[in-house]
Amino acid sequence: MKRSRVAAAVASAALALSITACGSDAGDGRTKLTYLSWTGEEQMTPIIEAFEEANPDIDVEASYAPPVAEYIQTLQTRVLSGTAPDVFLIAAENKTSLIDGGHVVDLTGEPFLEKIPDFNKETYGRDGKVYGMSISSWAAGYLYNKDLLAEAGYDSVPETWDEFLQMCRDLEAAGITPFIESVDQMPTTLSAWIGAQSSEMDPPLDELIFSGESTFEEQWTPALEEYNRIFTEGIVSPDVVGLDGDMVRDEFANGRVAVINAGPWVINAIREAAPDLEFEFAPVPGLPDGKPFQAGAATPGYAINSKADEEKQAVAKKFLAFLASPEGVEVFEEQTNDVTVTSDFEPTPDPAFEPLAAAIREGELYLPMISWQRSEDVLNVEAVAQIQRMIQGQVSPQGVAQALDAKLASS
Amino acid sequence: MTTTMLPRATVREGLVARSRRRPGGWKQLAVNQAFLLPAIVVFVFLFVVPLAQSFYWSLTDFTGYSSDVTFVGLSNYRTILTDPSMLAALGFTLLFGVGTTVVVTLIAIPLAVQLNKRFFGRNLVRSLWFFPAIPSMAILGLVWRYILSPLESGVVNSTLQDLFGVGPLAWLSDGTLARVSVIVVGIWAAAGWHAVLYMAYLQSIPNEYYEVARIDGASARQQFFGITLPLLTPALVISTFLLMTAGLKVFDLPYTLTNGGPGFSTYTITQSIVVAGVSQGRYGLASALAVLFTIAVAALAFGQLWLTKTIERRFV
Repeated sequence: MKRSRVAAAVASAALALSITACGSDAGDGRTKLTYLSWTGEEQMTPIIEAFEEANPDIDVEASYAPPVAEYIQTLQTRVLSGTAPDVFLIAAENKTSLIDGGHVVDLTGEPFLEKIPDFNKETYGRDGKVYGMSISSWAAGYLYNKDLLAEAGYDSVPETWDEFLQMCRDLEAAGITPFIESVDQMPTTLSAWIGAQSSEMDPPLDELIFSGESTFEEQWTPALEEYNRIFTEGIVSPDVVGLDGDMVRDEFANGRVAVINAGPWVINAIREAAPDLEFEFAPVPGLPDGKPFQAGAATPGYAINSKADEEKQAVAKKFLAFLASPEGVEVFEEQTNDVTVTSDFEPTPDPAFEPLAAAIREGELYLPMISWQRSEDVLNVEAVAQIQRMIQGQVSPQGVAQALDAKLASS
Repeated sequence: MTTTMLPRATVREGLVARSRRRPGGWKQLAVNQAFLLPAIVVFVFLFVVPLAQSFYWSLTDFTGYSSDVTFVGLSNYRTILTDPSMLAALGFTLLFGVGTTVVVTLIAIPLAVQLNKRFFGRNLVRSLWFFPAIPSMAILGLVWRYILSPLESGVVNSTLQDLFGVGPLAWLSDGTLARVSVIVVGIWAAAGWHAVLYMAYLQSIPNEYYEVARIDGASARQQFFGITLPLLTPALVISTFLLMTAGLKVFDLPYTLTNGGPGFSTYTITQSIVVAGVSQGRYGLASALAVLFTIAVAALAFGQLWLTKTIERRFV
């Protein structure tokens, strides 16, 4: 009997110790830092190992959820249940909820933010405060087949929209399908044009719309009308509403279309499918009163859980500082192929992507969903559906913009 | 049809006699009822409690990030009933539910009758029909997305072009064609499984009924409508109930095949619940949608059960 009591006491003590270990440190004297990764385990592990090597007193316990919906759902459940990790990603889809709910630490003034461009800080900030550290950005523009363009007498995508439309007609006359753009997401062309328009405005376009000083109808209708020309003038078939990005990429890789909308994520797949294909990226041609521009945004930012205790927050800041350091960014770039934006590291993007890489580092990017100040996904779903309806001729460009105004008013 | 009436009368008499001489009285009854307890517990915790919680959240502005919420009354319900995308989702969901139920039933019963006959390669043909029920609908949706691609290089379009010089057709790009495509793929995926269900019931019909009918000079058509179809009504009840409930809560197939588009042509109620709740953090709105959807599905399901039970009583 006595023996069993002793055994029970030892077991209880062991259990208590193990629970304590789970709570604050790794059990080997190292401080444990929990992290929910957006990046896959294969890519993230070398980055974490590099951090642990540089900080032997810290043990990063990473869990993984793939982007976007599953990550957002996993994080949201953990936030609600009080089991959020110490470090997680703040993205376009959850930034309003995380900031409004006070779930993320204000990082303003942290030394590691000094090397992050304003564009990336503002993306995950509000009212001058920064809540996420984004160390890279992405851009999308037009990807063109050099050989097919050469057949119609062009060596690159023109800089203006009218010239681009003329090029499309010339390609068509040469028996080449000129251009396909997938519209299962916000069209790259439209994002770039609205971005170019906004970059020339002070205050920016979205500030005017969301403060009630202007409307989508006023700001978006001209760009939507111009975009609709490629369908009403028969340059692009309205059937594109049934295509996704992968289908468009495959058409391009098989040499069946001269120009598509794309970002750097298609490069490897195209090289694998068509090793001899000569291609290059270009910005989206500008409207008459605009300039060539590109769609894009800062990648999700690393955020610190405001419910974590002070010790954990301090450790989390060390993690973020490492990620922003040249050593951290180097491993990050190697693993993710993202174009990094920190001031003390020069990334080496794929040569085909060079024409857009400079714009990334200068923050010359725009994506409506991430720039909108509230109801981002609500408006994005509505915009994509209404643009698809416009392409099918079911609603006018002005009707699309009015639908967005109505959605904003009701959400 | 006297032959079919006899078993029913016999069963009813047996049940009445058994209830009269039930041993043990109320104690035995209590013990018997106790066996229902696990099912009741499961029902309460996995259905009643979540439904009550959903109703509560539907009256709030719950975002999913904090349980600190504001009571907003029926505002979420008002939003749903005035939102064109939600109404479009309701329309297509009903079309998909009713369309797949009717067409699959019309295909599965004759198919089951044919597959129940002896012919060379019967097992292979049965397997081929059953195969679409094995992979997940999401996988089927992705595969069919390529097959029905509106491009000239799409599988169906290139075949039509090679064989008939037709096309390309905008299978997934035109609102009407996209609706038809989603429903046709849904029918293709479910017909074989439901034919197997009907086959199981077909095999339980005694062959003597057909022999007697043949002696009486009944044609194949008369045998089908006089013996096969009436005795398949229990299977009909189960099959149509499963088809209707699966059709009303469909998500994976339209989501992967068309992502609800073009526009809101193939948008479903379940997709709008997932989008509003998970992607947009509008759990209050998603909960209101779920509550309304549960009520609508329950009403439809009970209506359908009543109808099929009436038909069943008419025939069996």
